[in-house]
Amino acid sequence: MTEQATEQPRSVEVSVDTDAHPYFRVYSAGNFGEVAPQRLSPMSWSLVGDPMERGTRALARRLWGRPAWAEGGHYVFVGYFGCRPYHNLAAYCHLSASIPGLQPSDVTDAYFEGIDSPEELTALRSGRVRQVAGSAKLLGELRDTGPRLRSLEERVAELEWGLRAATTTDSPIALAGVLRDALPVLEEAWAVHILTTSGLVPVTALQRRVYGKLLRHGKEIAHWLTRPRELVWDRLHTAASTLDPFGPGDFLASSFYEVADNQAPWQDYAVRHKQVAGGSGEASVAPIDPAEALAGMVSPWRGRTVRSLAVAVGEMMAGREHSKSLAMRTLHIYRRLLPALASSMGGDADLWPYLTIREFTELATRPALIERARPRIEACRAALATPMPEHLDLTGDDGVIRPWLSRTPQGLRGVAPGVGTGTVMTPEGDLPDDPAIIVCSSADADIAPLLPFAEGVLSERGSDLSHIAILSREYGIPCVVGYPGAASLPAGTAVSINGSTGEVNILDPS
Amino acid sequence: MNDPGMNVLILGGSGFLGTAVAQACERDGATVRVLSRSGRTAVGEGVRGDVRMPRLGLSSADLARVREETTHVVLCFGSVSWTSGPGEVLETHSSGMRQALAFLRELPALRQAVHISSLLALGRAKGRVTNRELYTGQRFRNWYEYGKYCAERLVRDTPELPVGVVRFGPVLGPAPRGGRPDTRHGLPMVFPHLLAGYPVHLARRGDFPCWITDATSAAQIVLKALTTPIGRSTWTWFDPAMPTLGEVFTEVCRPWGVVPKIVEAGPLGRFTRLIGERVGAPKELTEYTEPWFDLDVNVLKEIPEPWPAPDPDYLGATGEALRGGTERRALV
Repeated sequence: MTEQATEQPRSVEVSVDTDAHPYFRVYSAGNFGEVAPQRLSPMSWSLVGDPMERGTRALARRLWGRPAWAEGGHYVFVGYFGCRPYHNLAAYCHLSASIPGLQPSDVTDAYFEGIDSPEELTALRSGRVRQVAGSAKLLGELRDTGPRLRSLEERVAELEWGLRAATTTDSPIALAGVLRDALPVLEEAWAVHILTTSGLVPVTALQRRVYGKLLRHGKEIAHWLTRPRELVWDRLHTAASTLDPFGPGDFLASSFYEVADNQAPWQDYAVRHKQVAGGSGEASVAPIDPAEALAGMVSPWRGRTVRSLAVAVGEMMAGREHSKSLAMRTLHIYRRLLPALASSMGGDADLWPYLTIREFTELATRPALIERARPRIEACRAALATPMPEHLDLTGDDGVIRPWLSRTPQGLRGVAPGVGTGTVMTPEGDLPDDPAIIVCSSADADIAPLLPFAEGVLSERGSDLSHIAILSREYGIPCVVGYPGAASLPAGTAVSINGSTGEVNILDPS
Repeated sequence: MNDPGMNVLILGGSGFLGTAVAQACERDGATVRVLSRSGRTAVGEGVRGDVRMPRLGLSSADLARVREETTHVVLCFGSVSWTSGPGEVLETHSSGMRQALAFLRELPALRQAVHISSLLALGRAKGRVTNRELYTGQRFRNWYEYGKYCAERLVRDTPELPVGVVRFGPVLGPAPRGGRPDTRHGLPMVFPHLLAGYPVHLARRGDFPCWITDATSAAQIVLKALTTPIGRSTWTWFDPAMPTLGEVFTEVCRPWGVVPKIVEAGPLGRFTRLIGERVGAPKELTEYTEPWFDLDVNVLKEIPEPWPAPDPDYLGATGEALRGGTERRALV
């Protein structure tokens, strides 16, 4: 965060914005725009953007050495402008050039709703040998994701137990101990999330290519076969139903990403809330899976190759969701911990949403750090009053906020296959008796409990590897994204969606 | 046989078998309504709709009439292509079937529905199969077989509905609406290849049953299933003469004066398939060159007698229709 001198606060402009990257200056809310609140408090940014940046830098270093463009005091892969979190679209597209066979469009299709990618800076491209070596290292890292996630799950559970003990004994020292232990866990959770999120792009691209070579209708079959076998969300929603305030599912009742979701003005942006469907769904007999059906249509070695790739991609999708859930659980620990610690410190510590986590951690020994929060209040207020575009073009370098416009119009995209028809329902609405299509502006794991009862999902936002796409695949229901105005379709409208082709039909109400 | 007041809705009634069923029902005195995406029909009343849509995509006027009057339904829609991908096949056989079954629940006067399934839903079933089996751990040769399996699975899982299942093998014979038989899909794909004089590999030179039947007798069986009624049973029908696959090829080629070149080139294995593909035989066809499955022939006895007699020489008539197709199509 940039802060000019604070000697004369009235005359000096204070900003919470991060510095833009000197070369890669096109940003996009991308996946943040789908799942995170539109604006984040400085504290939440320090718990989300900062570890994401560290995790991505560390991954890039391990894979491709230390390219000059990925070094420096500025953020490289993320940005925080006008209190809105962004991904650095240009930097991520540049990363795609570091993996043989990958195109920038693979990245934008996967996480940026298929917008056009910025021009590539070819001078910064790494050599062929480094590209191949980096890809091999990436596969090695992905192979080890499972043990890392299991170990991380244990550490998060320990933190939750620690928070329970500290809260029930009302011990500030124990709370401070949890605070100390939580940051490495959070950083590890985001690091694994970055790894699985990044790794999915080349692996799905490889899958499409291999299927195209080995199978007739290869791309279509990839759509049908790639399903995570079991996502973590079911387990967490079951845990949430116990209403244990320190249980692993408690975070589902809160806003994802925003830890200050009980404080103004951040509560206005905290859009997520839990939806738990009641009753038990009609047990439908599941026909055998398309993946099994395919086994007889191809030779054994082709079948094994195809299945292995489908399982690998499915497992990585599951790993992506698992790592995200662990990051969210750790954020939820902060959500409970920070107000409790702030009240134990007394004074102005309730300004904690305007501090970063490192400043807050040092507050006990350096109380003067609280002064950093005060000018940020006004800066945040001004930022929140400024509309921030979905895609941000900072190439002008004149401080003017310009939207970055994609030349190619974004169309409808089928991201989970199948055909679904039903009447529309919003995630907040009651389940209708008729088959329902969930319509929303964007969706996250909070709608997972509704999916067994839905015939499909129609979303305004989303990409090929969005969380909602992965969840829909798990439940075997179609999902179409990129439909403007989906959330505002009147209740009772009958709609038919085709998740294979992206076709959407609003049916004649007469 | 005539059931007074029988009002039959045929879903997918503009296709090959659907037309034959519509003709049989109309001849039997039933009121016939044919649902298709074009809304056109050669028999009975055509209504425009789409099985993939809720309430079959019917207009409100058609919906009210169909709901009120329909007493019998025949489900014979869906992709028949052996070369389609999963998306196209499951769009109708799975999603469409679910919509169709949901619609059947809304018919207050429904007495009997019949789902026209395929013996190919059994795929490469191991062991002897009867009407009872659907999934025996079999492997599927193509997405069509899987689609038919999914459709029958869905029908079997609706015990609250009076839907019976009638299974057929390949259905041949001249197209009920006239014109040249469609050789783009299913077993007829092989005929242009055979008639052009190319050799075809068949295990045991095709001396194994292919459970074939003709469109006329198949339509009569569907009518019988509606009127008997079949209830929730499963029937299987094939030509009781049980011509072998080799005999079928020979008979279809006879009007052309062509003797099909059936060879047993099994030891050549993959090479045979590659040659076949090079000369235009779809890969999917080569999956049917071995005996398909072991079907218990006694399944026929579950159909109440008298059984319809297949048209005499329907195989020769199929070949003849292929010859005269150009002129007839012009007439149609």
